[in-house]
Amino acid sequence: MNTVENYIAPGSIEEAAAALAAGPVTIVAGGTDLMLQTGSGAIAYAKTLMNVRRIAEMQGVSIDGDTIRIGALTTITELKSDAIIAEHLPVVAEMADKFASDQIRNASTIGGNICNASPAGDGIVPLMMYGADVVLASAKGNRNVALSEFFTGPGKTVKADNELLVAIEIAKPAAGFKGGFGKFGPRPALEIAMASVALGGVVKDGVISNVSVAFGAVGPTPMMGAKTTALLEGKTLNEETISAAGEAASEEVTPIDDVRASAWYRRHLIRVMTEEILNDVG
Amino acid sequence: MDQIVEKPDTLIGAAFPKPDAPDKVVGKTTYINDMVLPRMLVAKIKRTDRVHAKILSVDISEAEKVPGIVAIATAENSPKGLIGVLKDNPPLKGDKVRCIRDEIAGVAGETEEAVNRALELIKVEYEDLPTVFDPEEALKEGAPLIHEDKPGNIGLTFDFEHGDVKKAEAESDVVLEEKYELHYVTHTCMGPGCVIADFDTHGKLTIYTQTQYPYNYKMDLAPALDIPAGDIRVIQPPTGGAFGSKLDVYPFEPIAVYLAKIARRPVKLFFSREEEFIASPTRQPARVYIKQGAKKDGTITFRDVQVYLNNGGYTSWGATIPAVMMRTMTGHFRIPNVEFHSVAPYTNNPFAGSFRGYGNVQATYVTATLMDKMAEELGMDPIEFRLKNAQEPGERTPQNSLLKNAALADCIKISAEKTDFLKKHAEYTEARKTPGRIRQGIGIATSVHNAGGAKIHKSDGCGTILTMDDYGRATVITGASEIGQGIDAVITQLVSEELGIPPSDVLIANDDSAIGPWDVGVHASRTTFIAGNSARNAAVKAKQQILAAAARQSNVSADKLELRGGHVVQKDNGVSVTKLDRLIRAMHFAGEDAELVMVSEYYEPPSELEDKNHVGDISAAYAHGAYITELEVDTLTGGVKLHKITAVQDVGKVINKLGIEGQMEGGIAQGIGYGLSEELIIEEGIVKNPNFRDYKVVTAPEMPEIECHFIEDDEETGPFGAKGISELPCIIPGASIANAVYNAIGVRFDNPPITPEKIVRALHGGKAEAAE
Ligand SMILES: Cc1cc2nc3c(=O)[nH]c(=O)nc-3n(C[C@H](O)[C@H](O)[C@H](O)COP(=O)(O)OP(=O)(O)OC[C@H]3O[C@@H](n4cnc5c(N)ncnc54)[C@H](O)[C@@H]3O)c2cc1C
Repeated sequence: MNTVENYIAPGSIEEAAAALAAGPVTIVAGGTDLMLQTGSGAIAYAKTLMNVRRIAEMQGVSIDGDTIRIGALTTITELKSDAIIAEHLPVVAEMADKFASDQIRNASTIGGNICNASPAGDGIVPLMMYGADVVLASAKGNRNVALSEFFTGPGKTVKADNELLVAIEIAKPAAGFKGGFGKFGPRPALEIAMASVALGGVVKDGVISNVSVAFGAVGPTPMMGAKTTALLEGKTLNEETISAAGEAASEEVTPIDDVRASAWYRRHLIRVMTEEILNDVG
Repeated sequence: MDQIVEKPDTLIGAAFPKPDAPDKVVGKTTYINDMVLPRMLVAKIKRTDRVHAKILSVDISEAEKVPGIVAIATAENSPKGLIGVLKDNPPLKGDKVRCIRDEIAGVAGETEEAVNRALELIKVEYEDLPTVFDPEEALKEGAPLIHEDKPGNIGLTFDFEHGDVKKAEAESDVVLEEKYELHYVTHTCMGPGCVIADFDTHGKLTIYTQTQYPYNYKMDLAPALDIPAGDIRVIQPPTGGAFGSKLDVYPFEPIAVYLAKIARRPVKLFFSREEEFIASPTRQPARVYIKQGAKKDGTITFRDVQVYLNNGGYTSWGATIPAVMMRTMTGHFRIPNVEFHSVAPYTNNPFAGSFRGYGNVQATYVTATLMDKMAEELGMDPIEFRLKNAQEPGERTPQNSLLKNAALADCIKISAEKTDFLKKHAEYTEARKTPGRIRQGIGIATSVHNAGGAKIHKSDGCGTILTMDDYGRATVITGASEIGQGIDAVITQLVSEELGIPPSDVLIANDDSAIGPWDVGVHASRTTFIAGNSARNAAVKAKQQILAAAARQSNVSADKLELRGGHVVQKDNGVSVTKLDRLIRAMHFAGEDAELVMVSEYYEPPSELEDKNHVGDISAAYAHGAYITELEVDTLTGGVKLHKITAVQDVGKVINKLGIEGQMEGGIAQGIGYGLSEELIIEEGIVKNPNFRDYKVVTAPEMPEIECHFIEDDEETGPFGAKGISELPCIIPGASIANAVYNAIGVRFDNPPITPEKIVRALHGGKAEAAE
């Protein structure tokens, strides 16, 4: 049975990075994934448990020129009601509304959602669609990684053990960019996605451009929909295009059968939700 | 000056809050899971990871060395007695394991960490044996044998015949033959399994348990312990739900006792949530083959039912559900000719226990959907067909249930009227012909259930001891257990009403078998009826004693007196002759004539045991219900959204309005889960979804509006006319949902739960289709 020997709660990124450099540390933010995983024995605590919630620099949403910065500690509740998010990244707010329940949204951080690296992580999908980067900090300095290149498998990322996710950065979407988020699970709340889609683009005179598509829960990691994007880019958004896009989406995802749903049903849901969002934005 | 005491409003039918509720709401209640006794050890179970294997060796030598470990119990150092309905389950397995729950060892230690470490260090060597998981496969020749002394894997069987099914089939105009596959669900009690065992220095055992049948529990527990049943004292601290799951002795209870014996210290053994999913009993799954016939005019001619119950590794109450299932299969609607046969073959699956509704949840899913199918086949509407076959008051079923005041037709008519059923049903059927993504549906289901106890033991009684103290307050010691269902409130109301004292002056004591008089247990919707009658009769006896004394004192004859507002008053004018507390003190301190108000009552309901052919009027009363569900189906995602459930139920008389509504709503939530979302997925004997993420109980947002209509027909044998009510709300919703889904999309699901994926597969086959 493994137990935590030290508990630390640094007040700055610098201190946290120093602690990470010094050796095995388990990071806790909201704890809504971590507590369950350590409780069930799926993962073990390192000797040092580091609560990052007191680091002010990792909190809140801000905008600087064309870049929107979301602190890693921003909670899902904050994303749901933040004015900058509502104005520039409404699909993130839409996702937040479909995330868990009030209690879980209050505790869950976006950084935790990303670092947990679940293929079904809801927060990841719209951020990927918006072309977000994650900002990783270590004692050696910061680096940016595209969210679309961050994940390497279920629960696995390119983040090194000595790195802390401090923020998410997103270039302001193009003028007129519109999108939507679809998530399906049998219950309306407190539900893990069987499949999810975030899709957006600029629709002008019936033609869609600047298309971006991301999928969740239909592969080992959340994924970009390159084929669906290519199919849609520059096309007139009519019934035929929408149906072709739904088909492309259902074909390019790589779901598996598990206790929650079959691969077949997940593909079906991807198709339905992709078409639904396109009908809404068109 | 004469004091006039006004007659207070009756408490019968009032919205009376549960006495235990405030403590639960503020977190003050000490549930068994929270209890700590001095010097208490914590304990857990080492379970197998095989579903069928010979145990070659169990090595505890490393585990014993873990600091803080005090006792380890294995088959080798523990008593050999068996538990279970057929006494086929050794609490600790020594020779072989038969299902994934099987217990290899119990470990008790100073801390949970030490115990967990020790569990990891217990080494077990196995030799795997061939497995069988399907009940029909298990009956085939050459199937792996689960118990050496059960040839052919045959556990319990039930057979009933009435009339001539063959002849009736030949004479039928329409015959439907269907197969149903009813799934595993589990109770999901908020409080996971927990027990505390403590021996005194004389070797007598006190066991703190979640049991819902404290008296026969001793009888079932003792053989496993090698101690006399009389040496067991059962204490029932507040429990986080039971719903039938605590109606038998399960291995963890004797194991805790073995550990307490070895350690000579109190031992608390408890389940994790995963263990609760894996190792507590489930609802009994059933495969049902059913044939039903009718004449052109809609008269049902016969039913022929064959049921295979997957018994799993051992026999608990699950395998006995035909006792209840059969009453609905053979006696719900007028069935002139009927055969029912069931068998419960042993397999390597986990096993089932009792669960609210017993076999009637399964029976109602089958019969209520079959009634709809047959109505359609006959070209009749679902209401007309049901009314055609509904029994009249006074009829007897083939198994001899006397439907004294059968309200079935009323339930059907009222529910149909309240919901405008026929119009909507026709409209939605018609709407299926035109394209559209969202489909509306409405469906009805009905059932019948015992509502005046159920005589399955030699006695279906309940004892009460009622005493009054010098301050005019009543203590009611009842055999009935409070497991959250609200019996304390009901008894408080009944006693308060009879004795004319405020409910705050009534104290209920019912958590200690050393004090309480016998009761058969909380099951079969019986407690309000049986314990209610018992408590009320006791209160009437106390009242007679008090009025007799008052009559002697006041020279007004007892029949002209009554108890009201803490006084003895003259019936006709309400004039107080004495205050109740003063009278009781006068009775108490009367020198040679001293008496205490202290009465006892044992109530046995007017019902009979079944004979060997399953004929017998087992309950003092029966109740019907008709539930109508309105919903919509998203034909693209398969999502089902419930709009409303209208529940019309014959309840005899409402005693506690809050209590009955709570029972209705809670039962309906469980019934919805059965129909739509809950399933314990078991593959090759392994539970695949032992957590709340993947086992989908209904949460608040999915709950539809619920409208209840209570038919109050004053059951003559019930306390103030009340019947038992609390299983029908869980029994009927699943079937009414299935019928409503059919009305919406024209597809039948004979394999609940009706999940979105099943709906989409049925509608779209292998091909994904476009959104509109
Ligand atoms: C009942 C319930 C419902 C849920 N519903 C949903 C849902 O609808 N959708 C959904 O996507 N998820 C859901 N979740 C999962 C979970 O709530 C989210 O993934 C949440 O965003 C995790 O954030 P956290 O702050 O709690 O992370 P934590 O549990 O604190 O951390 C998660 C992981 O990330 C690491 N970590 C956290 N922050 C950082 C950081 N800044 N830098 C580096 N590593 C870090 C931790 O070490 C840990 O490994 C649910 C969970 C529960 C219990």
